Amino acid sequence: MKGWVMLNKTILVCDDDEGILDMLEIVLEDAGYHVIVVSNSLKIYEAIDKQKPDLVLLDLWMPVLSGDQVLRTLRKNPETDKLPVIIISASREGKHIADEAGANGFIAKPFDLDQLVNDVQKLAS
Amino acid sequence: MKIILYLKKNFSTTLDNFNKGEFSFSEGTIEQDLNLLVRALNASISGIILTDNRQPDNPIIYCNSAFEKISGYKRRDIIGHNCRFLQKDDRNQRQRLQLREAIEKGISCVVEIRNYKKDGTLFWNELYMSPIKDEKGNVNYFIGVQNDITRRKKAELELRSNNELMERRIEERTQSLKESEDYLASIVQTVRESLIVLDKDFRVLSVNEHFLKVFKVNKEETEGKMLYDLGNRQWDIPLLRELLENILPTNNPVEEFEVEHDFPHIGKKLMLLNAHRIELEGQFKDRILLAIEDITDRREIERRKDDFLSIASHELKTPLTTIKGYVQMMQRIIPKDAEEKFRSLLNKTSVYIERLNHLIAELLDVSKIQTGNIELHKEVFDFDKMVHETVEHIQSATKTHQIVVKGSATNSFSGDESNIIQVVNNLLSNAIKYSPDEKEVVVYLSKVSDYLKLSVTDFGMGISMENQKRIFERFYRVGEIQQQFPGMGIGLYVCEQVIKNHGGSLWVESEPGKGSTFSFTLPLNERVGNAE
Repeated sequence: MKGWVMLNKTILVCDDDEGILDMLEIVLEDAGYHVIVVSNSLKIYEAIDKQKPDLVLLDLWMPVLSGDQVLRTLRKNPETDKLPVIIISASREGKHIADEAGANGFIAKPFDLDQLVNDVQKLAS
Repeated sequence: MKIILYLKKNFSTTLDNFNKGEFSFSEGTIEQDLNLLVRALNASISGIILTDNRQPDNPIIYCNSAFEKISGYKRRDIIGHNCRFLQKDDRNQRQRLQLREAIEKGISCVVEIRNYKKDGTLFWNELYMSPIKDEKGNVNYFIGVQNDITRRKKAELELRSNNELMERRIEERTQSLKESEDYLASIVQTVRESLIVLDKDFRVLSVNEHFLKVFKVNKEETEGKMLYDLGNRQWDIPLLRELLENILPTNNPVEEFEVEHDFPHIGKKLMLLNAHRIELEGQFKDRILLAIEDITDRREIERRKDDFLSIASHELKTPLTTIKGYVQMMQRIIPKDAEEKFRSLLNKTSVYIERLNHLIAELLDVSKIQTGNIELHKEVFDFDKMVHETVEHIQSATKTHQIVVKGSATNSFSGDESNIIQVVNNLLSNAIKYSPDEKEVVVYLSKVSDYLKLSVTDFGMGISMENQKRIFERFYRVGEIQQQFPGMGIGLYVCEQVIKNHGGSLWVESEPGKGSTFSFTLPLNERVGNAE
């Protein structure tokens, strides 16, 4: 990942698992992104509103508010309906749900870092 | 017989006269005549005796040689005895009553009686007994003519015992038929599956106890009714009707037909139906046995097990994702001058993370496939694009191989995209895994008639003919491969199930040492798939 340039892009990662958040923060920062992490999906709208991320990485299975619910809400709001969102999930059916909810991409856990960074680069440009 | 008649007519008088010393013949001829008669009697094969009814206990006063021969006794043992000595201890024969009666009344009779020879051997004696009366009507003598009918009797007895045996067998057979009918009936009544017998017009002929219990109905509201009119017309389903109506003309059974319905009395249930034509030779061949199994609970348990495994695998994958991320990070930031040992340990860690990941994924797949719960979320998607994206994903994580995509199939296919991605992924990772010394894997897309076709070719180790037949079996692992690339052996099995569920087919062509090509076809026209 050496040699990757600072892109001045902000990625918001929302997952209820602290381990994943921690790891993704390290990985994406290392790839040159500015990273915001949110572990409580209820706080995601506020974070989006404040930080204006260029891309959202959203876990599917989260307590209280699931990833696809969040995504549907985002899609209904004219300010966020074009915001690139990648759903990440450990369940394979996740892709189907992600597509239905209007995700721009889907990544299955456990993912490959190169694949993840590739997808992020494509959508956050 | 003539002699006997003659004797009967004349003997009485002759003997009387003889005894009294009165002779009607001239002296010269009497002796001659008697000698002739005695010789004639001795030539008879029937035993002949005379008893003197006027003496106490009716003793035998004459016997011919045939009688000696039949009875085995010598004349000296016979003369003076009552005839009953021939019966020895066997005195309770009803024929004796007949004889006694005939003697008392002075009439003739014929009996078949068990007699015994001197040496104790049984012989059946056909005894013809007749009184000899004087002119006043007094019975002075009895003549007994005996024939040994043992052989005939034996044959008769055999015949009778054969008949009896036959009758007994028929009786036993009838009994056992009845028993086996009862036995079958008790099985039918005990079996924990609802059974209905239908006639050719789908009228209910009979149902078993379990049916009545499960559906909480009675015989009266069931038997004699039309199948489709039962309950709230729960069986009146067009597809089921079509299948059932095909049973008799085509002899194609209905198998594993699921009916989910809100049944009267019992509520929402999931029933599994099997129906076959039944025939009883010579009686009918146009009946249908419909077996119904309530699988509501079973399905629910399966669903819970799948849910549990699904949650478990999800929960296991989450920390695994973190570990995998960190290991990959470490592999990236490893200093250029790091020890080779450090590098190799990291690589090994990442190999085992992959293995763990596979096992977790397979755990879920096995469970779902075993219970047949692969759910298809069919949607129209761009097949070629999906293939290119999947290849791209794998390519980005693969440094050893170049994946080349050639041709095109279709940009519009209706199917479960994530399931098919799994298949493509599986075939690609296999191709890479089993050609470790090669650099290229080729994906070929095409359209063949109304099917799309995808082939993945590697130039690796290949698969022997014997193993080609078995690699699609669940849990099958090629022996030597297991050591090098462990796993549960369900990858290709899952692939085949997915492709089958879409109405397509998956196969392999391979030559050991040269590589393998795995191909699948999928019907482009949905109806082709459904017709499978």
